[in-house]
Amino acid sequence: MAVFDTPEEAFGVLRPVCVQLTKTQTVENVEHLQTQLQAVSDTALQELQQYILFPLRFTLKTPGPKRERLIQSVVECLTFVLSSTCVKEQELLQELFSELSACLYSPNSPKPAAVSEELKLAVIQGLSTLMHSAYGDILLTFYEPSILPRLGFAVSLLLGLAEQEKSRQIKIAALKCLQVLLFQCDCQDHPRPLDELEQKQLGDLFASFLPGISTALTRVITGDFKQGHSIVISSLKIFYKTVGFIMADEQLRRISKVQAKPAVEHKVAELMVHREADWVKNTGDKLTILIKKIIESVSVHPHWKVRLELVELVEALLLKCSQSLVESAGPLLKALVGLVNDESPEVQAQCNKVLKYFADQKVVVGNRAFADILSESLHSLATSLPRLVNYQDDQGKFCTLSLLLGYLKLLGPKVNFVLNSVAHLQRLSKALIQVLELDVADIKIVEERHWNSDDLSASPKTSAAQPWNQIQRRYFRFFTDERIFLLLRQVCQLLGYYGNLYLLVDHFMELYRESVVYRKQAAMIFNELVTGAAGLEVEDLHEKHNKTSPEELREIVTSILEEYISQENWYLVTCIEAEEMGEELMMKQSGLQAITSGAHTSQITSFPAFSKPSPTICSMNSNIWQICIQLEGIGQFAFALGKDFHLLLMSALYPVLEKAGDQTLLIRQVATSTMMDICHACGYDSPRHLINQNSDYLVNGISLNLRHLALHPHTPKVLEVMLRNSDASLLPLVADVVQDVLATLDQFYDKRAASFVGVLHALLAALAQWFPDKGHLGQLQEQSLREEGSHLSRGPATLENSTTAEDIEQFLLNYLKEKDVADGNISDFDNGDEEQSVPPKVDENDTHPDVEPALPVQIQIAMDVMERCIHLLSDKNLKIRLKILDVLDLCVVVLQSHKNQLLPLAHRAWPSLVHRLTNDDPLAVLRAFKVGLFLQVLRTLGGKCGDFLRSRFCKDVLPKLAGSLVTQAPISARAGPVYSHTLAFKLQLAVLQGLGPLCERLDLGEGDLNKVADACVIYLSAKQPMKLQEAARSVFLHLMKVDPDSTWFLLNELYCPVQFTPPHPSLHHVRLQGATGQQNPYVANVLHLLRELQ
Amino acid sequence: MTTEQKSTASGTPGGDCTLPDMAATIPPPPPDPQFVLRGTQSAVHALHFGGGAQAEGRPLLFSGSQSGLVHIWSLQTRRAIAILDGHGGQCVTWLQTLPQGHQLLSQGRDLKLCLWDLAEGRNTVMDSVRLESVGFCKSAILAGGQPRWTLAVPGKDSDEVQILEMPSKTSVCTLKPEADAKPGMPMCLELWQANSSPRPLLLVGYEDGSVALWDVSERKVCSRIACHEEPVMGLDFDSQKARGVSGSAGKALAVWSLDGQQALQVCRTHELTNPGISDVTIRPDRKILATAGWDHRVRVFHWRTMKPLAVLAFHNATVHCVAFAADGLLATGSGDQRISVWSLYPHT
Repeated sequence: MAVFDTPEEAFGVLRPVCVQLTKTQTVENVEHLQTQLQAVSDTALQELQQYILFPLRFTLKTPGPKRERLIQSVVECLTFVLSSTCVKEQELLQELFSELSACLYSPNSPKPAAVSEELKLAVIQGLSTLMHSAYGDILLTFYEPSILPRLGFAVSLLLGLAEQEKSRQIKIAALKCLQVLLFQCDCQDHPRPLDELEQKQLGDLFASFLPGISTALTRVITGDFKQGHSIVISSLKIFYKTVGFIMADEQLRRISKVQAKPAVEHKVAELMVHREADWVKNTGDKLTILIKKIIESVSVHPHWKVRLELVELVEALLLKCSQSLVESAGPLLKALVGLVNDESPEVQAQCNKVLKYFADQKVVVGNRAFADILSESLHSLATSLPRLVNYQDDQGKFCTLSLLLGYLKLLGPKVNFVLNSVAHLQRLSKALIQVLELDVADIKIVEERHWNSDDLSASPKTSAAQPWNQIQRRYFRFFTDERIFLLLRQVCQLLGYYGNLYLLVDHFMELYRESVVYRKQAAMIFNELVTGAAGLEVEDLHEKHNKTSPEELREIVTSILEEYISQENWYLVTCIEAEEMGEELMMKQSGLQAITSGAHTSQITSFPAFSKPSPTICSMNSNIWQICIQLEGIGQFAFALGKDFHLLLMSALYPVLEKAGDQTLLIRQVATSTMMDICHACGYDSPRHLINQNSDYLVNGISLNLRHLALHPHTPKVLEVMLRNSDASLLPLVADVVQDVLATLDQFYDKRAASFVGVLHALLAALAQWFPDKGHLGQLQEQSLREEGSHLSRGPATLENSTTAEDIEQFLLNYLKEKDVADGNISDFDNGDEEQSVPPKVDENDTHPDVEPALPVQIQIAMDVMERCIHLLSDKNLKIRLKILDVLDLCVVVLQSHKNQLLPLAHRAWPSLVHRLTNDDPLAVLRAFKVGLFLQVLRTLGGKCGDFLRSRFCKDVLPKLAGSLVTQAPISARAGPVYSHTLAFKLQLAVLQGLGPLCERLDLGEGDLNKVADACVIYLSAKQPMKLQEAARSVFLHLMKVDPDSTWFLLNELYCPVQFTPPHPSLHHVRLQGATGQQNPYVANVLHLLRELQ
Repeated sequence: MTTEQKSTASGTPGGDCTLPDMAATIPPPPPDPQFVLRGTQSAVHALHFGGGAQAEGRPLLFSGSQSGLVHIWSLQTRRAIAILDGHGGQCVTWLQTLPQGHQLLSQGRDLKLCLWDLAEGRNTVMDSVRLESVGFCKSAILAGGQPRWTLAVPGKDSDEVQILEMPSKTSVCTLKPEADAKPGMPMCLELWQANSSPRPLLLVGYEDGSVALWDVSERKVCSRIACHEEPVMGLDFDSQKARGVSGSAGKALAVWSLDGQQALQVCRTHELTNPGISDVTIRPDRKILATAGWDHRVRVFHWRTMKPLAVLAFHNATVHCVAFAADGLLATGSGDQRISVWSLYPHT
């Protein structure tokens, strides 16, 4: 199709069509015109605009009923023309505006005429295009007071459409059109921003529509969620743009008190609104109602874009109308703050951006009114929080707390104004305390404990090395959602960050001291306050906020720490075991029963140091949590102070270590992780490093507390933990404390032995580990000699490979040398070696007569401990006796290389040991077990102290053991299957199992071996219980190693499987006594053993 | 611990371990040191609080050990911040800082008196004085704000005291008792100056148990009293009250005063449960005094009334020295290689 560029050409083409249309107004003609128009260029069209518009307007204006279809096509055609041209005359604009609006006018009702949706859409688009096609200047003059009625009509028309139409398309179009009409279009076609005067004029004009627009839009916004999010978004946009325009503080500030007389007729003037203070106030109030409604509905809108738009709304209104809409500020801020933790990240981000922007612009901080509003909101929220927490579900609580958090974020440093008011602070603190209430009904916590007796050696490093950097999971009474706890922590951290820390800590300290009920929560709050104050996990919205200085923080932390570790807050009853109570009223072996029997609690009340009335499970549980929270707090303090925490280590480390040795598993774990925290915060590699570097502080605490053992019954535990987590470098520092411990033990032999036995065990275990067995000195010596000799020959392996003449020579030389050594002709430099290994006492005594030969510290300690063990072996408490046997065992291990020290002590320990082994303790209950332990000790002793022990053993012990085996044998042979559960059986078993290795180790003589064999032979009988037979077999296996011949003979005496035919008939016929009959009960075992022997 | 010690440690009423007016009621628990410093690795023979106001932060504690080391302890971290080794492994018997600060005097059994420069962590020997007496006598100084100060050291002959002007090390005079007096070796020295006159005075405790007051400029004994049977081991003088106290190897603690004519008079003696005092020090506020006992105890007395206030039982070897800080902290050093620091009656 040809394009008509010049108006002349176009005119030629269009004229007939226009004439045709003017004559007969049919859809076809209109469409014909429109087709023709498409061939006309824009410039030509502009020239001919009036001409072309005429027939179209004429069609619209012709009175009489018209077909909708015709009107629609006319409007569409008109829209087309307008979209390609500009409207340059005001009159035309006004007329077109009226004519288009009139299309939807129904004379009978205020509602839009009941016409087809297509027509409505066409008209709306027409209006929209018209407004866009108007020249800027023209458009401004269009908005003069006289247009008010017509404009009003159009506005209400569009609102009606937006509100009532079913078609989403129309609704959106209507809203778009409204936006254009209200001068708030956001498209790019409006280049010139309005100047202040123009803005004011427009504002005056639009103010008349504000009630209508705002209410109608509110209805749309708060309508059904199903209507689609784009409609709500558009409505929100128009709402805040319009309100923001009309109520803008900037415009209102310039409104004069007296209304200027507008040069319009009276009727129109009545419609005009003067935006003076009263009006603003009234309108603001009314808008507040609407805004509240909107927020209520939109903040829970399922579509995130809607909520995002709400953030925009809040931002726009708060920024533009902070004064005029001051009443709405509360709800607006609440909406904003509530969306900070929105589930959609976009909304969150936008919210944070806005908050940050507000903070930057000091919207809140710089605005007294806002701050007041916020603090009021905070107050009322804090007031209602306890109630809300009671009945809201977790999601609700989450929202509520998000709100709280948001308020605090927004208030920033201004939060101090709130905190300075006693009422506010109390509300807030009570609310926090209530929400944070823990559920302490979990019995498991009290139950799960670390039984020292079981696995002392198993626990130490594995648990300490765990990088356990998390807070223990805890259970709250009022919520289960972990996110809520996170929010609460953030709330406290923010308080700590912005608030006056002294004030807060003071306040919560009062609560902490006020009641046990508050104590745990207050402690949690302290922990977070300090973390916050250090600015560790706080994102700062308000820059240049003056933080708590490190010195102040340290002071505060010190005071909290003091409170935490004070006697009454640190040493809480966490279990009902007598030992833990600091007093050992434990009767013989009542330990296990005491835990289960409730009657035991009556004893506890009598302890003055812990005079709390009989602790229930709950209260103990609560105490455990209390300690854990405080421990965690210490870890957090360490992080908060960083290197500054070093100075606090001297008071904090000791209590933490004390708890690391606690019996309750949870406390132990938390204390261990606290140690890890301290390591991280203060730059130590490991708990071991931490302990080693600060052992002076710990030793100080231990030695001072040992002086008041009644007050500090846990002191030995600390030493225990220290020893378990440290290495040999600790020893010089601990040495004097070990002496203190032993001295204290001497004072309290009867009362507190149990708590010391643990330390002694840990100490000796540590010594045994730190100074490992250097093997038998003789062996070592040999080895060193051999190494010296072989520095050229490199041992036999090389010899085999390439045997040269030199090698052989060297070998011979070495051989000779070794032979020399063996013969005792020791050369000079060998002598030096010898001297080192043999304790060089005599020489030293000669040179320094006044100085005693210096024994290594560990040997001295082991000797001192062994000394005590000798006494404690006869303690009346079975548990202690067992433990002491362990310690004794370790003592022997440590002392094995110092025979001169060991032997006298072993000698002294002997009677006591024999007594243990042979006494008929009425408590035969655990005797079997005990004997097993004894044998173990004996075995070690036997291994180390050779001859001396052998004779003592043969003389004192063996007869009794053998005797008891013999007397018990008939009983066990007759007994039924139940017998294996009796203690007599266990005793037999233990003795039989222990005898074999002992005999071998002690290298017994023939007579003694026979004694053993005679006692054990009975147990080879098939009548004996299976386990005893096995044990007896093992004895004989050992005996075979010592003396195979006599064992062979003995066995054959029992049962002889083979007939021995002499190799020569002249020789005597050998008959061994063993009966060959199948009734012989020894057959199976003897055969088994003889097989082994071959 | 011996039995005797045990009974006192647990606080038997009626002994000298409790406040007299509290003896009727329940005895208070035995006091504890505030903290204990470990790590000297040998017996502690000298203690001195220094630093004070001019040192940045908290005061320091200097300790001298049998092995010849001087440890400088920070009372804030409770750790040794430096170790000075200047006496060749011989026991350090006396430590003193100069009022100008950053300078420390240490006397050792190696017959050397070292002047240390501690400023900016230099810890070096600036100067040293050769001593000529192998006795037990500790030196004394008299120093004001001026650069020149006076030092009294045991002299060449066994009964002499030598006065030096420092830092030039010029000998001012030698104080030798009259030939017939025979007081034995000087055991302890105290240099001071009365407010009224600029003349330095020297108090000397002698081996025979007497205390003598010397006028240094006239080189004569003003007064001399015999207050102990045994050698005087330590003395301290309160120049405001013109009263002094001395302890000896015997059981008595003697309090003596000085009248206007510069004559010494014994005011009273206090009988101790166990003999042997190695050091006596009056607290700077002149309210209490502390003695270091051979019985492993530190005893605290009210200075004006000489009422026994407390027995500090902590050490398990002879206590060799006691020192007070300006703020009232008490430090005691003992043969058990520990230094205990006590806060006593802090509000007086």
